[in-house]
Amino acid sequence: MKRNILLLALAVLMAMPSFAGAKKKAEKDTEHFRYEIECAGNGTQGTYLVKVWSYSKRAKVAAEQCMKNAVHGVIFKGYTGGNGCVAQKPLANRPGVEMEYEEFFKLFFSDNGEYYKYVSLTGATQDVVKVGKEYKVGIIVSVQKDELRKALEQAGVIRGLGSGF
Amino acid sequence: MKKYLFIAAMLTMSLAVFSQAKKPTLMVMPSDAWCYQNGYMKIIPDGEGHEAQIPDYEEALRTSMDLKLAIAKINDLMAERGFPLKDLEQQVKLIRQQTAEQNLVTSKSGNEMAESPVDNLLRVAKADIIIELTWDIKEQGPKRTLSYILEGKDSYTGKSIGGSNGTSSPSFSADVSVLLEEAVVAHIDNFNSRLQAYFDDLFANGREVSLEIRVFADNAAGIDLESEVGTDGEELAEVIDGWMATNTVEGRFTKLGSSENYIAYEQVRIPLYSNSGVAMDTEAFARKLRNYLRKEPFNIPVKIMNRGLGKCILVLGEK
Repeated sequence: MKRNILLLALAVLMAMPSFAGAKKKAEKDTEHFRYEIECAGNGTQGTYLVKVWSYSKRAKVAAEQCMKNAVHGVIFKGYTGGNGCVAQKPLANRPGVEMEYEEFFKLFFSDNGEYYKYVSLTGATQDVVKVGKEYKVGIIVSVQKDELRKALEQAGVIRGLGSGF
Repeated sequence: MKKYLFIAAMLTMSLAVFSQAKKPTLMVMPSDAWCYQNGYMKIIPDGEGHEAQIPDYEEALRTSMDLKLAIAKINDLMAERGFPLKDLEQQVKLIRQQTAEQNLVTSKSGNEMAESPVDNLLRVAKADIIIELTWDIKEQGPKRTLSYILEGKDSYTGKSIGGSNGTSSPSFSADVSVLLEEAVVAHIDNFNSRLQAYFDDLFANGREVSLEIRVFADNAAGIDLESEVGTDGEELAEVIDGWMATNTVEGRFTKLGSSENYIAYEQVRIPLYSNSGVAMDTEAFARKLRNYLRKEPFNIPVKIMNRGLGKCILVLGEK
């Protein structure tokens, strides 16, 4: 009995660094824009409906990272349209803004950071594709872009339409 | 001591208010193409024996619920972005009310209010930036698609600020108002991003305005733009060119055309603030030029006619 418990504890301890490693890698992928974001339909007023594809050796990590990537994508990347879907530009389209506000975004995108307030899952379904040694996971999420824009305006990251007048 | 502190605080507050650039006004209007397609045109004599067709906004607003809905939606979304718009319907009503008042008001001795033909002409619904809205429904069997164009135009320079357009995905059930609302919601961010780029350019390179210089015929000062008024025999047009080069942002302006009676300047980049930090518009810029011309050695009287935030006409020779 004791031996079994010891083995189980050892397995958990061995798995933890691998999970943490996958998470760290996924975070780096976000920083380097290694995710895909596409329009998933015209959202209701104040929201963008997007499908985000994230990569990780662990499908669970990739799925978790999708929410963060969706907000990151809406702020820095924007997305293309087509089939009745309207393309949108990134909220922060000034070059170098990510570096300029590095500390702000570090905190904003930290685990359980403020980004979480502006994104929600729209359904339980997710697409999982095995690509080589890792998983590519696609999830449709809704980003509260109006609220997100207001928060970025308040932080001084982007200018409001009426600012300066 | 408290008194001085209070005065200092009040001065700082007033300076903060003054140092904000003047906010351009925006208004959504249906485009001429939309008015024509939907039969909202009226025919008026052009004064030369011909007839001209102009958009009948009053009739369009009275009868088209779709138009009212689209304008209300855009107004709502722009207010959300901290940029409330002028409402076309209210403007049309205001003009009608002003005209009615104008016709009724008399002084105690029975005199009517003074109004020149130019005053009458200027009393139209206007804004510094016009957002033109056009849409069209195409039906293919039971399916409907909506094509949509939103385009911003600078009223004074006539330049397009940018726009947003697209076609909705085909729908079997949605009616026009639903398709229109969806299109407005989906496209407004792209439009605003272009508007933001326009404002950013304005802050970086100054406001772009137009200026016209004209001369009163047989004026009392006895001058035209070819009069040699400079200290070293410079013509008046050259003197004004020189002043423009010194007082525009990085000397940016385009001289569109000139004669002894007329100069048209376009793409004139004026600073947003004067040297004292007060917000500047075209009239303030024109006043600076007037002050320069009426001083020694020129001594030329100048009449300024303001045409809004972005255009001014200076008439030389008399007031």
